[in-house]
Amino acid sequence: MADLSAAQSGFAQLQAAVSKGDLPSCKQLLSRLKLELTKLPALPPVYEQSANAQQQLELARQVLELAVLLAVRQGDEAAFERNYAQLRVYYSDARGLLPPSPQEAALTGLNLLRLLVANRIAEFHTELEVVPEEVRAAPEVAHVVQLEQWLMEGAYNKVLAARESASSDYYRHFLDQLSSTVRDEVASCSERAYESLSVADAVGLLMLGSEAEVEAYAREHGWEVAGGRITFKPAGGKGSGKEGGTAAAPAVALPALEIIGHCMNYAREIERIV
Amino acid sequence: MGKEAPKDDVAMAEAEGAGPAKPEQQEDKQPAAPSPLAVLRSGVTLIKKAVEQKETRTLFGRVLRQTAAVRRHLTAAELTTFLEGALPTSSPAAAQLVEVVKQVGDTAMDADGAPAANGAANGAEAPAPAAPEPPAVPSNLPEVEAYAYLVTLMFLVDRKQYQLAQGVAGSAVERLAAHNRRTLDVLAARIYSYLSLTHERCGSLAAIRSALLGLHRTAVLRHDEVGAETLLNLLLRNYLHYNLYDQAERLRAKAQRPEASRSMQQACRYLYYLGRIRAVQLEYSEAKDCLQQAARKAPSSAVGFRMAVQKWLVLVRLLLGEVPDRTEFTSPDMAAPLGPYFDVAAAVRSGDLNAFSTAAAAHAATFRADRTHNLIVRLRHNVIRAGLRRISLAYSRIPLADVAAKLGLASVQDTESIVAKAIRDGGIEGVLNHEAGTLESARPADIYSTDEPAAAFHARIAFCMDVHNEAIKAMRYGEGGGATKEFEDATALREKQEQELQAALEEDDDF
Repeated sequence: MADLSAAQSGFAQLQAAVSKGDLPSCKQLLSRLKLELTKLPALPPVYEQSANAQQQLELARQVLELAVLLAVRQGDEAAFERNYAQLRVYYSDARGLLPPSPQEAALTGLNLLRLLVANRIAEFHTELEVVPEEVRAAPEVAHVVQLEQWLMEGAYNKVLAARESASSDYYRHFLDQLSSTVRDEVASCSERAYESLSVADAVGLLMLGSEAEVEAYAREHGWEVAGGRITFKPAGGKGSGKEGGTAAAPAVALPALEIIGHCMNYAREIERIV
Repeated sequence: MGKEAPKDDVAMAEAEGAGPAKPEQQEDKQPAAPSPLAVLRSGVTLIKKAVEQKETRTLFGRVLRQTAAVRRHLTAAELTTFLEGALPTSSPAAAQLVEVVKQVGDTAMDADGAPAANGAANGAEAPAPAAPEPPAVPSNLPEVEAYAYLVTLMFLVDRKQYQLAQGVAGSAVERLAAHNRRTLDVLAARIYSYLSLTHERCGSLAAIRSALLGLHRTAVLRHDEVGAETLLNLLLRNYLHYNLYDQAERLRAKAQRPEASRSMQQACRYLYYLGRIRAVQLEYSEAKDCLQQAARKAPSSAVGFRMAVQKWLVLVRLLLGEVPDRTEFTSPDMAAPLGPYFDVAAAVRSGDLNAFSTAAAAHAATFRADRTHNLIVRLRHNVIRAGLRRISLAYSRIPLADVAAKLGLASVQDTESIVAKAIRDGGIEGVLNHEAGTLESARPADIYSTDEPAAAFHARIAFCMDVHNEAIKAMRYGEGGGATKEFEDATALREKQEQELQAALEEDDDF
């Protein structure tokens, strides 16, 4: 039976430091605590059976959950990924060994959101497959899944609105990152979809604060702003050129070389067959 | 998949043994069908011969085929006689197997009618073949022992005695580990898949994962290609059973695979698993390729497997924006299970969001069981796109509010940004007018003024050429030596001609 007192007191210290918001000392305490955890035999991958095995696992899970949240606060993506990878075992393989964690849904949701923000969609979906049904139904996770769908469909205004209704500070951190990506997406869609747009409408569409911000944003993207209207000429011209033509566009030159190449190729192949 | 998965595995296992022909029907037609006992005994003889000749492929294949044909008619009494005859009485395997069969024999007789009837018939049948049959000589060959284990496993699985089978499979694998003989590979691979199957049925698949990994490693090191391939598939199945797509992909990417697959069935399974992984990772075109190949290569008797493949294939194609043919859903053996997928496909085709939600909700339990639930959720996006495309083709100018109503979307604001994205991604052609709140569709460009038709034509020609070249390649490496030689002559001749032509051209150039 392993002695838990050292780890427990370390965890208490860490919690105190977190609630005080003392990030540098949190980091130190956390790394010391993790060393302490390595001494516990009931943790994966050994899973040694003992009287307080469950307590050991629970403590380790709490520490790692806190570590993940700390990583979000520090804005340290690498640490988030690392800590979550360690934590994942407690949500999957060791699931049957201890009571479900009240934090599980929130952390799973955070991790999914992180992948979504980083545009790692494939990983997002592989991760989603592993999430058990009851966790998926939790509001935190369901919300993120909904976000992904909105992004796919293009319901960007909902995504931007989601930021306002974020349930916790941790989510807001990621949603801030997401909204700037989304704004760029909206901009690139607008370029193609509209010929021109009034500045007042653009404020709403891009979810920017004021008309001045829109004008600055428009200049960044090289749009023309005149008389309270944004004209998306440069992008539009490029677009129709690529399409190969409205009626007015000049006839496209024949890709002569390509056609000749194909014909020669056919001739050679047929020669071989006959 | 929970319910489906085991079924397709059994179906595949049968198909492996039976080949394209349906074993049972054949059995019934022939008046003088050999009794199971005789078949098993001749199997042992064949195995002995195969071991002597160090030949594993064809003879073992024949043994397994014959065994698969009679496994349904096997009775406990016959099996006991066979085991006692084939194995030396001193061997621990014989004692264990006979004991297990006895247990099952007692319970199964009362439990279901079919074996009981068989048992009754057995009374009349059994003595007849016993007389002409030469008395079986017990053999110490590990191959015979493995075969005995395998037959017992089949017997137990057919009687649904998974707990017992699990124990037998476990000890069989232990016994196999003691030998390193290439002649064992084929039988061993089969035993591994039963080990996995029994654990799957008992719900303890995670427990054997590390054992399978160890066996896979050993098989690769010993150049046991059949074993390595089988075990890799079992591992993939194991991971996918728990939805561990990430781990499955990592194993698959790192594991060595023989260049040419030794068995069509294993290759099919591999393609199916790979297709599923790719589908989850959103690489739909690759997923489609894999699943399509799996569907084409799967033996026609493996109905369960083909069904599972078809379900995934339908979804992947829908996600790619293709609409599968109606006939793909209506083939008689597939129509009922594919029903839910047909409803979904119809909804996607018409772009009707409401119909889609109803279909998805109505069949949610099925999709969850098939583990395709998440793919269905992704399809929503395709439904909207399909609907938008229809609208943009039909109307030259339409208010966004009407678009929202037609698609069943909640707000006009959403609709506007959804349409904007569709325009950006090239889904539809058109321009939005924000002030008027309308979508003005561009007239569809005349496709024949672009080089699109030429490209499509080229793609088809290239495909035909490819098929032709592949066919020639396949003939060249065929079994007959004569054909090869002829072709070599032909190529040599052609090379010579080409050289001459080259020389002539060069001379031309000189002028």
